[in-house]
Amino acid sequence: MTTKRTNRTRLLLVSLLVTSLFLITLDLRGLSIVSSLRTAAQSALTPFQSLSTYMLTPISDFLEDLGGLRTAQSRVAELEKENQELRNTNILNQNVEGELKQLKGVLDLAGKAKYKTVSARVIGKGGTATIGETIIIDKGSGSGITTDMTVISESGLVGVVKSVSNNASIVMLMSDPNFRLGVRVAGSQFMGILSGDGGENYSLQMLSAASDLSVGDVLLSRGSSGDKPFAPGVPVGRVSFVENSLGQLTKRAKVEPYVDFNSLGVVSVVLESVAGDPGDALVPKAPKPAPTVTVFVTPTPNE
Amino acid sequence: MNIARIPYIFLTLIGVFVLQEALINRINFLVGGFSIYLVFVIAWTLQEEPSNAMLIGFFAGFIADFSPTLESPFGLWTLILTGFCYFLATTVRGNLDPQLSPLQMTLVTASSSAVLLILFIAVGAILGQELSSISILLTEIIGNTLWSLVLAPVYIPVTIKFYKLSLTARER
Repeated sequence: MTTKRTNRTRLLLVSLLVTSLFLITLDLRGLSIVSSLRTAAQSALTPFQSLSTYMLTPISDFLEDLGGLRTAQSRVAELEKENQELRNTNILNQNVEGELKQLKGVLDLAGKAKYKTVSARVIGKGGTATIGETIIIDKGSGSGITTDMTVISESGLVGVVKSVSNNASIVMLMSDPNFRLGVRVAGSQFMGILSGDGGENYSLQMLSAASDLSVGDVLLSRGSSGDKPFAPGVPVGRVSFVENSLGQLTKRAKVEPYVDFNSLGVVSVVLESVAGDPGDALVPKAPKPAPTVTVFVTPTPNE
Repeated sequence: MNIARIPYIFLTLIGVFVLQEALINRINFLVGGFSIYLVFVIAWTLQEEPSNAMLIGFFAGFIADFSPTLESPFGLWTLILTGFCYFLATTVRGNLDPQLSPLQMTLVTASSSAVLLILFIAVGAILGQELSSISILLTEIIGNTLWSLVLAPVYIPVTIKFYKLSLTARER
């Protein structure tokens, strides 16, 4: 009786394992129904993720407020004073505002990239069981987003849209180990391949042996055909270390990204690059060094 | 397994999966992350007979494979959880007293979640999935084990309560 039961259990185990292997095979053969199952799951999960964002935000705000309670009183006094000053300044600014609008129009004409974008909130991220580096945003195909679109933040490139449902999209971050990106060095236009390693460091492999590279060089995305998956000219990062090994055919370097992936709240998906390649127009300005004061001292001759 | 239990188990697992995807994944843990879904499945499996355990592992893996942020092939979690839950119910539970003490439950659950993550990474790598750096993988595994140990007094009693609710009056 027990042997019969054990045999039945083993038969069931084998059947379940074979079913699992069958599912894996279907997925590896690229059956679209398998990927659409995950897209459907994302559509179903989006309302829950939005709800949790809605619920968690006041809690995290409250915790932050608790941390700043000690300094709150002096801060209130400081802000009240600042508020009064701002009211006075505001009266002056109303005149300046009209001038600024004109100035903005001129700047837009000379405009940098002229990307057509859709902005979205980050509502989730890949968990422990996922291992990969992804985020979920609250805009999907309903807003015109399709797979392989470039995602940017205020500082530069974030990643690329991996999959899309009607009201959400999954973005593979630049830091994902599967991420590969063609880049060019701003100014010299030398080209290379940037890859993530799952952490905060990125490796750059230059394509040409003649490429010159130095610390501080700015890297921009090289762009793809039809701007997918990468729109051209998006700031990616800055070279932080150049390897100088004699045995290497081409130069390798470490790159520091412009975007802090831990503090992503709002991102934009590039739908179209209206004006084509913006060249080096998007290179972030280096911070201005503080002016050095030089004092010349002329000794007075003793009489 | 009594067929009447299957919808209840399925719905419970879906509930925990939604909790994991919508809420737990949003929390920034100090070290690594925490998978309440994995420890819930393990703690539940430790209460079950081998044939039930592997069915629960299969259901749990099938649901986990729906995770939209997952880059591994669909079916990988199904394969791993089916095999591992059977192993847990036969080998681990068979060698210990069937009524596990809270300490035993905590240690087995935390170490099993680490083994499951390692298996997932290893089998994923065999199937051609690209991996993060060793330090990041270690942080995830160690972090998950640590949080599984720390949070055991919360999730183990809840899991056992859900398990008991799934039993028919005759099974109780």
